Amino acid sequence: MNTRAWWRFPALLTRTCRVPRGPGLWETLALLSPGVAPTAVQMAGKKGCPALCPLDENDLEEQFVKGHGPGGQATNKTSNCVVLKHMPSGIVVKCHQTRSVDQNRKLARKILQEKVDVFYNGEKSPVYKEKREAQKKKQERKKRTKETLEKKKLLKELRESSENVTEKRTADSD
Amino acid sequence: MKLGGRMWWTLLSGPRRRRGGPLSRAFGSQQPHSHPTGESSATELVRRWTEIFEKRGIPEAQESSEYIVAHVLGAKTFQSLKPVCRTKPLTPQQLHDIHELCSLRLQRMPVQYILGDWDFRGLNLKMTPPVFIPRPETEELVEWVLEEVAQRPHVAGTQGGPLILEVGCGSGAVSLSLLNELPESQVIAVDKEEAAIRLTRDNARRLRLQDRIRVIPLDVTSEGSWTPLLPWAPLDLVVSNPPYVFYQDMEQLAPEILRYEDPVALDGGEEGMDVICSILTLAPRILKDCGSIFLEVDPRHPELVGSWLQSWPNPSLRLVALRQDLCGRPRFLHVQKSRPYV
Repeated sequence: MNTRAWWRFPALLTRTCRVPRGPGLWETLALLSPGVAPTAVQMAGKKGCPALCPLDENDLEEQFVKGHGPGGQATNKTSNCVVLKHMPSGIVVKCHQTRSVDQNRKLARKILQEKVDVFYNGEKSPVYKEKREAQKKKQERKKRTKETLEKKKLLKELRESSENVTEKRTADSD
Repeated sequence: MKLGGRMWWTLLSGPRRRRGGPLSRAFGSQQPHSHPTGESSATELVRRWTEIFEKRGIPEAQESSEYIVAHVLGAKTFQSLKPVCRTKPLTPQQLHDIHELCSLRLQRMPVQYILGDWDFRGLNLKMTPPVFIPRPETEELVEWVLEEVAQRPHVAGTQGGPLILEVGCGSGAVSLSLLNELPESQVIAVDKEEAAIRLTRDNARRLRLQDRIRVIPLDVTSEGSWTPLLPWAPLDLVVSNPPYVFYQDMEQLAPEILRYEDPVALDGGEEGMDVICSILTLAPRILKDCGSIFLEVDPRHPELVGSWLQSWPNPSLRLVALRQDLCGRPRFLHVQKSRPYV
């Protein structure tokens, strides 16, 4: 019923425009381009991990769901999904992890930054290395858990079978 | 030999000796006929309720059912749920809760009121009708204020951070996110409605920010409304998302808004300018020289505000910048106090 359009931002163009002194507000409004100002790309690398290549906002294309209607106070909107594309590599990230558009934008950039790093640096990427290590640890943990479970199972079965032997002996002796 | 054979048989047949067999072991106390990815999984419930909402003309059908199902499963969004949680069967209690909440959505209650809380710039805020629900655009307003404060460190007041007035605090979203992201700042938050005062104070306590915020009932449109604020003057910043809907547009608002949110938080009068003008009237009396006012407005307001400011005989305020929202509409104004108020 509601057909929604995705609002696409092709390139970085400033969204903030200073108003010149004197008459000029109309000219100013006419100059405002439908562009997106950069949000600060959080550079926080993971602990013990060197910082990843920063993303250039000029390379990004961002999409939001633009509902029908005037927006702002006149609309109640909960669709805060952000779709972020890195144009040089073609990598697309879709983020709806949080209920906040602001947070989703920042998260999308963080995730995209990692993916782009892996794309260009492959196995050398700190992201890749960390994932490999985490996977390795997980596998080791699984292996240990499996071994422990198997040992427990075997012990239990041995115990049960020895109980049966005792029962039978008691029955036989009657 | 017989003994040995029996022992061997016992070892092999261990699992079969449990009541109910492997099927009930795998699904615990569930009905033996329930399927892991079938009838009552989260994914299936979302699909079902999306269909119901669409049939009944409920806007954001899929988002609404996703948020409700995720909430019942203890998550903020459906996407943040682990895939395994999305496919396993739901408990009867969970199914009941989802049904209850979705029934409210069928009555056009906003999702934020159904869930009782919502997130704004990473902060979780309690939501209670009829207090105004923070809009995603307003996150941008806070972003702009933060950028400006970062660029002008001398804006900081005597206590370190900027001293900020928020007009129309509602749930406290703007004030509390500023306090959270500007650790040295202090805020005076005012609102005309008692419910908003209570909710802002409640959210401030929940977020442990109550020490840096004063929440005061105040109607800025009333005569001499700045008087109670004078003890804190001069302030560094005034921030507001004031009621800015044009009166004639009020009746076209969606039922979610008309039925559940306080119209006082929305209605800006004939040209949506009433509260905006009150703020701009009071601001020079309490702002420092070169102090700033940041407003969220209707896209038709930049022109109206510009003209209104220029119509003053001795204007002390100047519109210095405009900013678009993420949909490309001029949504935010930066007005500055340019010379000593006479």
